[in-house]
Amino acid sequence: MSGGDHNQLPASQIGSDSPGELGEPPAPVDFALRILQRVGIPRDRYDTYVRLDTAAGGLFVAFTPELVTGAVLATGGLTAERFEELHRSRTGRSAIPTGTPLPGLLTALRTGRVRRLSLDLGPVDALEARVLRAVQTIPAGQLRPLSWLTREAALPPARGADAVLNVLAHNPFVVLVPCHRVTYEHGAPCDAAYLPAAGDALRSAEGVDMAEVHQWSRSGAVFLGSDTTHIYCHPTCANARRITPAHRVPFTNAREARRAGYRACKSCRPVAA
Amino acid sequence: MEELAEQLTDLLAQDLDAGFTELVRVHARAVHAFLLRVSGSAAEADDLGQDAFLRAYTALQGYPPERRRALQPRAWLMTIAANVWRNHVRSNSRRPLSVMRVDDAPDMWSDADPGPADRALNADDRGRLVAALSRLPEYYRVPVVLRHVVGMSYAEVAQIQGCPVGTAKAQVSRGMSDLRRLLTWEEEGEVAT
Repeated sequence: MSGGDHNQLPASQIGSDSPGELGEPPAPVDFALRILQRVGIPRDRYDTYVRLDTAAGGLFVAFTPELVTGAVLATGGLTAERFEELHRSRTGRSAIPTGTPLPGLLTALRTGRVRRLSLDLGPVDALEARVLRAVQTIPAGQLRPLSWLTREAALPPARGADAVLNVLAHNPFVVLVPCHRVTYEHGAPCDAAYLPAAGDALRSAEGVDMAEVHQWSRSGAVFLGSDTTHIYCHPTCANARRITPAHRVPFTNAREARRAGYRACKSCRPVAA
Repeated sequence: MEELAEQLTDLLAQDLDAGFTELVRVHARAVHAFLLRVSGSAAEADDLGQDAFLRAYTALQGYPPERRRALQPRAWLMTIAANVWRNHVRSNSRRPLSVMRVDDAPDMWSDADPGPADRALNADDRGRLVAALSRLPEYYRVPVVLRHVVGMSYAEVAQIQGCPVGTAKAQVSRGMSDLRRLLTWEEEGEVAT
Protein backbone atom coordinates (compact mmCIF):
# COMPACT_ATOMS: atom_id res chain seq x y z
CA MET A 1 0.00 0.00 0.00
CA SER A 2 2.99 2.31 -0.44
CA GLY A 3 1.17 4.00 -3.30
CA GLY A 4 -1.73 5.04 -1.06
CA ASP A 5 -0.73 8.68 -0.73
CA HIS A 6 0.33 8.85 -4.33
CA ASN A 7 -3.03 7.52 -5.43
CA GLN A 8 -4.98 10.14 -3.50
CA LEU A 9 -3.46 12.88 -5.63
CA PRO A 10 -5.23 12.31 -8.96
CA ALA A 11 -8.63 12.13 -7.30
CA SER A 12 -8.22 15.39 -5.44
CA GLN A 13 -6.91 17.11 -8.54
CA ILE A 14 -9.84 16.08 -10.67
CA GLY A 15 -12.14 16.95 -7.82
CA SER A 16 -10.72 20.44 -7.40
CA ASP A 17 -10.24 21.70 -10.92
CA SER A 18 -13.39 20.16 -12.33
CA PRO A 19 -15.98 19.90 -9.55
CA GLY A 20 -18.94 17.76 -10.54
CA GLU A 21 -17.47 17.22 -13.97
CA LEU A 22 -17.73 13.48 -13.54
CA GLY A 23 -20.92 13.87 -11.49
CA GLU A 24 -24.10 11.90 -12.01
CA PRO A 25 -25.59 12.46 -15.46
CA PRO A 26 -29.39 12.64 -15.52
CA ALA A 27 -31.22 9.36 -16.11
CA PRO A 28 -34.28 9.30 -18.43
CA VAL A 29 -37.26 10.49 -16.42
CA ASP A 30 -39.15 7.17 -16.62
CA PHE A 31 -36.10 4.89 -16.18
CA ALA A 32 -37.14 3.67 -12.72
CA LEU A 33 -40.78 3.32 -13.77
CA ARG A 34 -39.89 1.07 -16.72
CA ILE A 35 -37.81 -1.12 -14.42
CA LEU A 36 -40.79 -1.62 -12.11
CA GLN A 37 -43.09 -2.32 -15.06
CA ARG A 38 -40.65 -4.80 -16.58
CA VAL A 39 -40.10 -6.62 -13.29
CA GLY A 40 -43.86 -6.71 -12.84
CA ILE A 41 -44.39 -4.88 -9.54
CA PRO A 42 -48.17 -4.29 -9.26
CA ARG A 43 -49.09 -0.67 -10.03
CA ASP A 44 -50.91 -0.21 -6.72
CA ARG A 45 -47.68 -0.75 -4.76
CA TYR A 46 -46.22 2.65 -5.65
CA ASP A 47 -47.16 6.22 -6.63
CA THR A 48 -45.79 8.10 -9.63
CA TYR A 49 -45.09 11.81 -9.72
CA VAL A 50 -44.52 14.63 -12.19
CA ARG A 51 -43.06 18.11 -11.89
CA LEU A 52 -45.42 20.69 -13.37
CA ASP A 53 -45.05 24.43 -13.85
CA THR A 54 -47.30 26.81 -11.97
CA ALA A 55 -47.32 30.57 -11.45
CA ALA A 56 -45.46 29.97 -8.18
CA GLY A 57 -42.75 27.78 -9.74
CA GLY A 58 -42.40 24.00 -10.03
CA LEU A 59 -44.97 21.76 -8.38
CA PHE A 60 -44.35 18.08 -7.60
CA VAL A 61 -47.58 16.10 -7.79
CA ALA A 62 -47.73 12.44 -6.78
CA PHE A 63 -50.62 10.20 -7.78
CA THR A 64 -51.95 6.67 -8.18
CA PRO A 65 -53.76 5.81 -11.46
CA GLU A 66 -56.96 7.38 -10.05
CA LEU A 67 -56.14 9.71 -7.16
CA VAL A 68 -53.75 12.53 -6.37
CA THR A 69 -51.78 11.58 -3.25
CA GLY A 70 -49.69 14.71 -2.62
CA ALA A 71 -48.43 18.02 -4.00
CA VAL A 72 -45.45 20.12 -2.87
CA LEU A 73 -44.13 23.36 -4.36
CA ALA A 74 -40.47 23.19 -5.41
CA THR A 75 -39.63 26.41 -3.55
CA GLY A 76 -36.70 26.74 -1.18
CA GLY A 77 -34.50 24.43 -3.25
CA LEU A 78 -36.69 21.35 -2.88
CA THR A 79 -35.18 18.68 -5.12
CA ALA A 80 -36.92 15.67 -6.63
CA GLU A 81 -35.03 13.37 -4.22
CA ARG A 82 -36.15 15.39 -1.22
CA PHE A 83 -39.74 15.36 -2.46
CA GLU A 84 -39.59 11.56 -2.80
CA GLU A 85 -38.38 11.28 0.80
CA LEU A 86 -41.03 13.69 2.11
CA HIS A 87 -43.73 11.77 0.28
CA ARG A 88 -42.43 8.49 1.63
CA SER A 89 -42.36 9.73 5.22
CA ARG A 90 -45.86 11.26 5.01
CA THR A 91 -47.75 8.53 3.15
CA GLY A 92 -45.44 5.50 3.46
CA ARG A 93 -45.48 5.06 -0.32
CA SER A 94 -42.65 5.21 -2.85
CA ALA A 95 -42.93 8.00 -5.44
CA ILE A 96 -41.45 7.09 -8.84
CA PRO A 97 -40.84 9.80 -11.46
CA THR A 98 -42.87 9.66 -14.66
CA GLY A 99 -43.42 11.88 -17.70
CA THR A 100 -47.19 11.36 -17.91
CA PRO A 101 -49.37 13.37 -15.54
CA LEU A 102 -52.67 12.07 -14.19
CA PRO A 103 -55.47 12.73 -16.74
CA GLY A 104 -57.24 15.98 -15.88
CA LEU A 105 -54.41 17.27 -13.73
CA LEU A 106 -52.99 19.68 -16.30
CA THR A 107 -56.45 21.06 -17.10
CA ALA A 108 -57.23 21.52 -13.43
CA LEU A 109 -53.99 23.42 -12.91
CA ARG A 110 -54.41 25.57 -16.01
CA THR A 111 -57.99 26.61 -15.28
CA GLY A 112 -57.71 26.57 -11.48
CA ARG A 113 -60.86 24.41 -11.35
CA VAL A 114 -59.60 21.92 -8.82
CA ARG A 115 -62.92 21.09 -7.20
CA ARG A 116 -63.45 17.82 -9.04
CA LEU A 117 -59.91 16.56 -8.69
CA SER A 118 -59.98 13.27 -6.77
CA LEU A 119 -57.65 13.36 -3.79
CA ASP A 120 -56.46 10.56 -1.56
CA LEU A 121 -56.09 12.54 1.66
CA GLY A 122 -54.05 9.77 3.26
CA PRO A 123 -53.46 9.74 7.02
CA VAL A 124 -55.62 12.72 8.11
CA ASP A 125 -58.39 12.89 10.72
CA ALA A 126 -62.02 13.73 9.94
CA LEU A 127 -61.63 17.41 10.87
CA GLU A 128 -58.67 17.95 8.54
CA ALA A 129 -60.45 16.12 5.74
CA ARG A 130 -63.54 18.35 6.10
CA VAL A 131 -61.42 21.53 6.01
CA LEU A 132 -59.43 20.40 2.95
CA ARG A 133 -62.61 19.38 1.09
CA ALA A 134 -64.16 22.78 1.91
CA VAL A 135 -61.08 24.66 0.65
CA GLN A 136 -61.27 22.62 -2.54
CA THR A 137 -64.73 24.09 -3.27
CA ILE A 138 -63.52 27.73 -3.34
CA PRO A 139 -63.76 28.69 -7.05
CA ALA A 140 -60.75 29.95 -8.98
CA GLY A 141 -60.12 33.68 -8.68
CA GLN A 142 -62.23 34.03 -5.53
CA LEU A 143 -61.34 34.50 -1.86
CA ARG A 144 -63.11 33.26 1.27
CA PRO A 145 -62.52 34.24 4.90
CA LEU A 146 -61.69 31.76 7.67
CA SER A 147 -65.17 32.09 9.20
CA TRP A 148 -66.69 30.86 5.93
CA LEU A 149 -64.40 27.79 5.99
CA THR A 150 -65.23 27.06 9.61
CA ARG A 151 -68.91 27.07 8.72
CA GLU A 152 -68.57 25.07 5.48
CA ALA A 153 -66.44 22.44 7.21
CA ALA A 154 -68.95 22.35 10.11
CA LEU A 155 -66.32 22.95 12.78
CA PRO A 156 -67.18 23.99 16.34
CA PRO A 157 -66.97 27.84 16.17
CA ALA A 158 -65.03 28.04 19.44
CA ARG A 159 -61.79 26.58 18.04
CA GLY A 160 -62.63 27.14 14.40
CA ALA A 161 -60.13 29.67 13.03
CA ASP A 162 -57.06 28.28 14.78
CA ALA A 163 -57.89 24.72 13.80
CA VAL A 164 -58.42 25.75 10.18
CA LEU A 165 -55.14 27.72 10.07
CA ASN A 166 -53.30 24.75 11.53
CA VAL A 167 -54.70 22.41 8.87
CA LEU A 168 -53.88 24.88 6.10
CA ALA A 169 -50.29 25.27 7.29
CA HIS A 170 -49.80 21.52 6.77
CA ASN A 171 -51.75 21.34 3.53
CA PRO A 172 -50.41 18.19 1.78
CA PHE A 173 -51.88 19.31 -1.58
CA VAL A 174 -50.67 22.89 -2.04
CA VAL A 175 -52.12 24.64 -5.11
CA LEU A 176 -54.47 21.66 -5.73
CA VAL A 177 -56.25 22.35 -2.43
CA PRO A 178 -56.21 26.10 -3.09
CA CYS A 179 -55.42 27.47 0.35
CA HIS A 180 -54.11 30.65 -1.30
CA ARG A 181 -57.81 31.54 -1.71
CA VAL A 182 -58.34 31.71 2.08
CA THR A 183 -58.15 35.09 3.86
CA TYR A 184 -58.52 36.50 7.38
CA GLU A 185 -61.80 38.25 8.20
CA HIS A 186 -60.52 41.66 7.10
CA GLY A 187 -59.45 40.32 3.70
CA ALA A 188 -55.69 39.82 4.03
CA PRO A 189 -54.60 36.42 2.65
CA CYS A 190 -53.50 33.75 5.19
CA ASP A 191 -50.89 31.99 3.02
CA ALA A 192 -50.29 29.54 5.86
CA ALA A 193 -48.68 26.96 3.57
CA TYR A 194 -46.85 29.29 1.15
CA LEU A 195 -44.15 31.90 1.10
CA PRO A 196 -45.94 35.24 0.54
CA ALA A 197 -44.50 35.61 -2.98
CA ALA A 198 -45.86 32.19 -4.00
CA GLY A 199 -49.35 33.02 -2.72
CA ASP A 200 -49.36 36.37 -4.53
CA ALA A 201 -48.17 34.78 -7.78
CA LEU A 202 -50.93 32.15 -7.64
CA ARG A 203 -53.63 34.73 -6.89
CA SER A 204 -52.59 37.14 -9.61
CA ALA A 205 -52.41 34.25 -12.12
CA GLU A 206 -56.07 33.54 -11.27
CA GLY A 207 -56.96 37.18 -11.89
CA VAL A 208 -57.51 38.25 -8.28
CA ASP A 209 -56.94 42.00 -8.12
CA MET A 210 -55.08 42.32 -4.81
CA ALA A 211 -55.12 46.15 -4.96
CA GLU A 212 -58.89 46.04 -4.97
CA VAL A 213 -58.92 43.48 -2.16
CA HIS A 214 -56.67 45.73 -0.05
CA GLN A 215 -58.94 48.69 -0.74
CA TRP A 216 -61.90 46.65 0.45
CA SER A 217 -60.19 45.51 3.61
CA ARG A 218 -59.18 49.11 4.45
CA SER A 219 -62.72 50.41 3.96
CA GLY A 220 -63.95 47.87 6.54
CA ALA A 221 -66.62 46.45 4.22
CA VAL A 222 -66.85 42.67 4.14
CA PHE A 223 -69.83 42.10 1.86
CA LEU A 224 -70.99 43.64 -1.35
CA GLY A 225 -74.70 44.00 -2.22
CA SER A 226 -76.57 45.00 -5.35
CA ASP A 227 -79.40 47.48 -4.97
CA THR A 228 -81.18 46.08 -8.03
CA THR A 229 -81.39 42.46 -6.85
CA HIS A 230 -81.07 43.04 -3.08
CA ILE A 231 -78.59 40.17 -2.79
CA TYR A 232 -75.24 40.42 -0.99
CA CYS A 233 -72.05 38.42 -1.67
CA HIS A 234 -68.40 38.02 -0.79
CA PRO A 235 -66.67 40.79 -2.80
CA THR A 236 -64.71 38.36 -5.01
CA CYS A 237 -67.78 36.20 -5.82
CA ALA A 238 -68.41 35.99 -9.56
CA ASN A 239 -71.90 37.43 -9.04
CA ALA A 240 -70.57 40.38 -7.01
CA ARG A 241 -68.05 41.28 -9.67
CA ARG A 242 -70.88 41.67 -12.18
CA ILE A 243 -72.55 44.47 -10.19
CA THR A 244 -72.00 47.79 -11.98
CA PRO A 245 -70.26 50.40 -9.77
CA ALA A 246 -73.38 52.58 -9.53
CA HIS A 247 -75.36 49.78 -7.88
CA ARG A 248 -72.73 48.52 -5.41
CA VAL A 249 -73.72 48.69 -1.76
CA PRO A 250 -71.02 47.73 0.77
CA PHE A 251 -71.91 46.13 4.13
CA THR A 252 -69.65 45.60 7.15
CA ASN A 253 -71.57 42.57 8.46
CA ALA A 254 -74.42 40.24 7.61
CA ARG A 255 -76.86 41.77 10.11
CA GLU A 256 -76.55 45.19 8.51
CA ALA A 257 -77.30 43.68 5.12
CA ARG A 258 -80.30 41.78 6.44
CA ARG A 259 -81.70 44.93 8.08
CA ALA A 260 -81.43 46.70 4.76
CA GLY A 261 -83.61 43.97 3.26
CA TYR A 262 -80.88 42.02 1.43
CA ARG A 263 -80.58 38.23 1.26
CA ALA A 264 -77.40 36.15 1.08
CA CYS A 265 -76.05 34.98 -2.29
CA LYS A 266 -76.68 31.27 -2.80
CA SER A 267 -73.47 30.57 -4.69
CA CYS A 268 -70.90 32.15 -2.35
CA ARG A 269 -73.00 31.61 0.81
CA PRO A 270 -71.87 34.56 3.01
CA VAL A 271 -73.99 33.07 5.84
CA ALA A 272 -75.32 29.55 6.34
CA ALA A 273 -78.25 29.26 3.95
CA MET B 1 -28.26 7.93 4.31
CA GLU B 2 -27.13 5.06 6.56
CA GLU B 3 -30.44 5.14 8.37
CA LEU B 4 -32.21 5.04 5.02
CA ALA B 5 -30.13 2.07 3.86
CA GLU B 6 -30.99 0.24 7.05
CA GLN B 7 -34.71 0.81 6.54
CA LEU B 8 -34.35 -0.35 2.95
CA THR B 9 -32.89 -3.74 3.88
CA ASP B 10 -35.54 -4.19 6.61
CA LEU B 11 -38.20 -3.44 4.04
CA LEU B 12 -36.61 -5.91 1.60
CA ALA B 13 -36.68 -8.60 4.26
CA GLN B 14 -40.34 -7.97 5.16
CA ASP B 15 -41.93 -7.28 1.80
CA LEU B 16 -40.02 -7.96 -1.41
CA ASP B 17 -42.16 -5.84 -3.75
CA ALA B 18 -42.24 -2.76 -1.49
CA GLY B 19 -38.53 -3.12 -0.75
CA PHE B 20 -37.63 -3.53 -4.39
CA THR B 21 -39.67 -0.43 -5.31
CA GLU B 22 -37.69 1.57 -2.73
CA LEU B 23 -34.45 0.02 -4.00
CA VAL B 24 -35.27 1.19 -7.53
CA ARG B 25 -36.35 4.66 -6.33
CA VAL B 26 -33.16 5.23 -4.31
CA HIS B 27 -30.53 3.57 -6.51
CA ALA B 28 -31.78 3.66 -10.12
CA ARG B 29 -30.04 6.99 -10.81
CA ALA B 30 -26.64 5.74 -9.61
CA VAL B 31 -26.87 2.47 -11.57
CA HIS B 32 -27.86 4.39 -14.70
CA ALA B 33 -24.99 6.88 -14.19
CA PHE B 34 -22.50 4.02 -13.82
CA LEU B 35 -23.66 2.25 -16.97
CA LEU B 36 -23.87 5.47 -18.98
CA ARG B 37 -20.29 6.39 -18.11
CA VAL B 38 -18.81 2.93 -18.74
CA SER B 39 -20.74 2.36 -21.97
CA GLY B 40 -20.83 5.95 -23.24
CA SER B 41 -24.23 5.37 -24.80
CA ALA B 42 -27.60 6.35 -23.36
CA ALA B 43 -29.43 3.56 -25.19
CA GLU B 44 -27.07 0.90 -23.84
CA ALA B 45 -27.18 2.33 -20.32
CA ASP B 46 -30.95 2.13 -20.46
CA ASP B 47 -31.07 -1.50 -21.69
CA LEU B 48 -28.35 -2.77 -19.39
CA GLY B 49 -29.86 -0.91 -16.42
CA GLN B 50 -33.20 -2.64 -16.97
CA ASP B 51 -31.35 -5.91 -17.24
CA ALA B 52 -29.36 -5.36 -14.05
CA PHE B 53 -32.48 -4.60 -11.98
CA LEU B 54 -34.33 -7.57 -13.45
CA ARG B 55 -31.43 -9.80 -12.34
CA ALA B 56 -31.44 -8.16 -8.93
CA TYR B 57 -35.15 -8.89 -8.50
CA THR B 58 -34.76 -12.50 -9.59
CA ALA B 59 -31.88 -12.94 -7.16
CA LEU B 60 -33.80 -11.34 -4.30
CA GLN B 61 -36.70 -13.74 -4.85
CA GLY B 62 -34.35 -16.62 -4.08
CA TYR B 63 -32.79 -15.02 -0.98
CA PRO B 64 -34.07 -15.82 2.51
CA PRO B 65 -35.12 -12.75 4.58
CA GLU B 66 -31.93 -12.82 6.73
CA ARG B 67 -29.78 -12.55 3.63
CA ARG B 68 -31.84 -9.65 2.27
CA ARG B 69 -31.48 -7.89 5.61
CA ALA B 70 -27.70 -8.30 5.56
CA LEU B 71 -27.39 -6.83 2.06
CA GLN B 72 -25.42 -3.67 1.26
CA PRO B 73 -27.81 -2.52 -1.44
CA ARG B 74 -25.67 -0.04 -3.38
CA ALA B 75 -22.51 -2.14 -3.59
CA TRP B 76 -24.58 -5.23 -4.37
CA LEU B 77 -26.45 -3.49 -7.21
CA MET B 78 -23.21 -2.08 -8.62
CA THR B 79 -21.68 -5.58 -8.62
CA ILE B 80 -24.62 -6.81 -10.67
CA ALA B 81 -24.40 -3.81 -13.02
CA ALA B 82 -20.64 -4.32 -13.48
CA ASN B 83 -21.21 -8.01 -14.27
CA VAL B 84 -24.00 -7.18 -16.72
CA TRP B 85 -21.64 -4.72 -18.42
CA ARG B 86 -18.77 -7.26 -18.60
CA ASN B 87 -21.08 -9.92 -20.03
CA HIS B 88 -22.31 -7.43 -22.58
CA VAL B 89 -18.77 -6.51 -23.67
CA ARG B 90 -17.80 -10.20 -23.88
CA SER B 91 -20.82 -11.26 -25.95
CA ASN B 92 -20.35 -8.23 -28.23
CA SER B 93 -16.74 -9.20 -28.89
CA ARG B 94 -17.90 -12.69 -29.85
CA ARG B 95 -20.41 -11.21 -32.29
CA PRO B 96 -18.32 -8.76 -34.30
CA LEU B 97 -20.24 -6.17 -36.30
CA SER B 98 -18.91 -7.42 -39.68
CA VAL B 99 -20.83 -10.69 -39.65
CA MET B 100 -24.09 -8.93 -38.88
CA ARG B 101 -26.82 -9.00 -41.51
CA VAL B 102 -27.56 -5.64 -43.08
CA ASP B 103 -31.19 -5.87 -41.95
CA ASP B 104 -30.08 -5.89 -38.32
CA ALA B 105 -27.72 -2.99 -38.70
CA PRO B 106 -30.19 -0.18 -37.88
CA ASP B 107 -30.71 -1.70 -34.41
CA MET B 108 -27.05 -1.27 -33.67
CA TRP B 109 -26.47 2.21 -35.02
CA SER B 110 -27.50 4.07 -31.92
CA ASP B 111 -25.17 1.95 -29.80
CA ALA B 112 -21.97 1.79 -31.82
CA ASP B 113 -20.95 5.44 -31.94
CA PRO B 114 -22.04 8.66 -30.31
CA GLY B 115 -25.02 9.95 -32.33
CA PRO B 116 -25.60 13.59 -33.37
CA ALA B 117 -27.14 14.40 -29.99
CA ASP B 118 -24.18 12.87 -28.16
CA ARG B 119 -21.76 14.77 -30.37
CA ALA B 120 -23.53 18.04 -29.62
CA LEU B 121 -23.21 17.27 -25.93
CA ASN B 122 -19.55 16.43 -26.36
CA ALA B 123 -18.89 19.99 -27.47
CA ASP B 124 -18.55 21.18 -23.87
CA ASP B 125 -15.97 20.28 -21.24
CA ARG B 126 -18.04 17.58 -19.63
CA GLY B 127 -18.46 16.02 -23.06
CA ARG B 128 -14.71 16.00 -23.62
CA LEU B 129 -14.19 14.26 -20.33
CA VAL B 130 -16.88 11.70 -21.15
CA ALA B 131 -15.35 11.10 -24.56
CA ALA B 132 -11.92 10.56 -23.01
CA LEU B 133 -13.51 8.20 -20.48
CA SER B 134 -14.97 6.07 -23.26
CA ARG B 135 -11.49 5.70 -24.79
CA LEU B 136 -10.11 4.34 -21.53
CA PRO B 137 -9.51 0.55 -21.50
CA GLU B 138 -12.50 -1.27 -20.03
CA TYR B 139 -10.58 -2.72 -17.04
CA TYR B 140 -9.68 0.81 -15.86
CA ARG B 141 -12.96 2.45 -16.82
CA VAL B 142 -15.14 0.43 -14.44
CA PRO B 143 -13.11 1.23 -11.29
CA VAL B 144 -12.69 4.91 -12.26
CA VAL B 145 -16.43 5.32 -12.83
CA LEU B 146 -17.26 3.51 -9.58
CA ARG B 147 -14.90 5.71 -7.60
CA HIS B 148 -15.44 9.12 -9.22
CA VAL B 149 -18.91 9.06 -10.82
CA VAL B 150 -20.82 6.89 -8.36
CA GLY B 151 -18.60 8.11 -5.52
CA MET B 152 -17.90 4.77 -3.79
CA SER B 153 -15.12 4.08 -1.32
CA TYR B 154 -12.07 2.05 -2.38
CA ALA B 155 -13.30 -0.78 -0.15
CA GLU B 156 -16.58 -0.91 -2.04
CA VAL B 157 -14.83 -0.71 -5.42
CA ALA B 158 -12.59 -3.61 -4.36
CA GLN B 159 -15.62 -5.61 -3.26
CA ILE B 160 -17.34 -5.10 -6.62
CA GLN B 161 -14.17 -5.82 -8.60
CA GLY B 162 -13.45 -8.88 -6.48
CA CYS B 163 -9.89 -7.78 -5.73
CA PRO B 164 -7.86 -6.46 -2.76
CA VAL B 165 -8.25 -2.79 -1.82
CA GLY B 166 -4.69 -2.02 -2.95
CA THR B 167 -5.42 -3.37 -6.42
CA ALA B 168 -8.55 -1.26 -6.66
CA LYS B 169 -6.59 1.86 -5.68
CA ALA B 170 -3.92 1.07 -8.27
CA GLN B 171 -6.52 0.51 -10.99
CA VAL B 172 -8.24 3.82 -10.22
CA SER B 173 -4.93 5.62 -10.09
CA ARG B 174 -3.71 4.21 -13.42
CA GLY B 175 -7.10 4.90 -14.97
CA MET B 176 -6.94 8.51 -13.80
CA SER B 177 -3.43 9.09 -15.13
CA ASP B 178 -4.44 7.56 -18.50
CA LEU B 179 -7.48 9.82 -18.51
CA ARG B 180 -5.34 12.85 -17.81
CA ARG B 181 -2.95 11.88 -20.59
CA LEU B 182 -5.84 11.45 -23.04
CA LEU B 183 -7.15 14.91 -22.16
CA THR B 184 -3.72 16.56 -22.50
CA TRP B 185 -3.21 14.96 -25.90
CA GLU B 186 -6.56 16.20 -26.99
CA GLU B 187 -5.78 19.76 -25.89
CA GLU B 188 -2.42 19.71 -27.67
CA GLY B 189 -4.15 18.37 -30.76
CA GLU B 190 -6.62 21.25 -30.63
CA VAL B 191 -3.82 23.81 -30.34
CA ALA B 192 -2.03 22.24 -33.33
CA THR B 193 -5.07 22.36 -35.64
